[in-house]
Amino acid sequence: MKVFVIGLDSAPPDLLFNEFLDDLPNLRKLLSKSIYGPMKSSIPAITIPAWMCMATGKTPGELGLYGFRHRKGNSYKDIWIAHSLMVKEKAVWDYLGEKGYKSVVLGVPPSYPPKKINGWMIGCFITPDSSVNYTYPPELKSEIEKVVGDYIFDVVFRKENRDEVKEQIWEMTEKRFEVVRHLVETKDWDFFWFVEIGLDRVHHAFWKYFDESHHLHEPNSPYKNVIPDYYKLLDREIGKTLKLLDDDTAVVIASDHGIKKMKGCFAVNQWLVDEGLLKASYEKGKVIRFEQLDVDWSKTVAWAWGGYYARVFLNVKGRDPSGVVRMSEYDRVRDEIAEMLKSIRGPNGEKWDTKVFYPEEIYPTAKGDKPDMMVYFDDLYWRAAGTLGWETSYLLENDTGPDDAVHSEYGVFALHTPDMDGSKTIDATIYDFAPTVLSLFGLKASNLREKVLYNGYNI
Amino acid sequence: MPERTVKIPENIYEKIQERIKDTEFKSVDEYVTYVLQEVLASLEEEEENVFTEEEEEKVKERLRALGYLD
Repeated sequence: MKVFVIGLDSAPPDLLFNEFLDDLPNLRKLLSKSIYGPMKSSIPAITIPAWMCMATGKTPGELGLYGFRHRKGNSYKDIWIAHSLMVKEKAVWDYLGEKGYKSVVLGVPPSYPPKKINGWMIGCFITPDSSVNYTYPPELKSEIEKVVGDYIFDVVFRKENRDEVKEQIWEMTEKRFEVVRHLVETKDWDFFWFVEIGLDRVHHAFWKYFDESHHLHEPNSPYKNVIPDYYKLLDREIGKTLKLLDDDTAVVIASDHGIKKMKGCFAVNQWLVDEGLLKASYEKGKVIRFEQLDVDWSKTVAWAWGGYYARVFLNVKGRDPSGVVRMSEYDRVRDEIAEMLKSIRGPNGEKWDTKVFYPEEIYPTAKGDKPDMMVYFDDLYWRAAGTLGWETSYLLENDTGPDDAVHSEYGVFALHTPDMDGSKTIDATIYDFAPTVLSLFGLKASNLREKVLYNGYNI
Repeated sequence: MPERTVKIPENIYEKIQERIKDTEFKSVDEYVTYVLQEVLASLEEEEENVFTEEEEEKVKERLRALGYLD
């Protein structure tokens, strides 16, 4: 059996499995002979580390990957960016390679720099640009360029010219599928996994035009059908691709997290300053990044990074360069700040469903440069802005360019195997993916905890 | 920490024995462990620096523009 995985970054179950399904004939046909359902993402529900949690079956804590950036040696300012070589745990293609199975891995984040695997690997969107070597083996790069010309890794969507964003996302996705089909046909693979990042970009860039309940919704916008049209594009491309697979191929669809409307941005560092926990001053009307803030570290208790979720760091004596919180007070101070964070209400006094996670409590182990707290403001509906200088800590528009959507905790999982005659809905977690894929090859990795989603029973 | 035995060629063993005379290394084992630790650490450091300065700035700028580094 071969296994072909279609990775759709940020695909949410409600749109893919329900709302849009009638307009997606190829996916509808596939799902009619599949097990499928929502898949709970990792904490944090972010592209990096989520795809690697899927690939390795390991938690962010075990991987030591908590997002795109990490503190370098407890520095306040120096960071390192996550890349493929920081993933030390085995991925499904490593287990398969040991048994002689060959894999094509295309754009599964982070896959730059490309790793030497038993097969072929192509860099994801953290590849600096197409001038570097982004393939394994290196000669694959010129082969790709013969097929599609300049390969497109990503589209930066936070700009006002929406027509240009749309055009670039379409071009990127069409090129990616051309490369996928070229590799499907020319390589003797057993396992194939690609990730299309365009879906996430289209969600973020065009959500307010599509979602009538969004606070910035513009009725009758010329962009209102961009999101549904992109799903149709994906369906067509997937349909063309599935035709090339032989009958003995299992097909998986998976996403790293879901997506939902953004209600606003919460300026977490500004709040920390206002609460007296971060000792610095900002000028209202002059927006600056946290790195530009003049912090009095000797009087600072806590500070934060923004993004789709917030990472809050305590300033710990003996650990941080100018730490003030004594280890003996660590638990008490952290609990107090967690309570303060959870009690934050919305701009109109409404109650928020804010979640605060302690890394060492939610993972079997928490390696590497971990934050002291991870925060989902109002269950991720409110992004965390790291910037300061706003008139209020509640921003109704994104702080760094147009973006109307945030991540949600549930992505999708679907599996079709040649012996399936019907469909069945299931609940999955991101940690079930690796053991399930390995089981399709008759393999079991003894160090993976989660469940196998399909054992060959009839449906 | 539990220990495992590895084999090294005789001539290398002798060279190390010669080299650690009058040093703080008490045995060939200790020296070999030290050297291997250093090599592994530098390999790991090398792995962490996959981007040139210019590339790293480019990637950070993009990640910021994509909303991952706010």
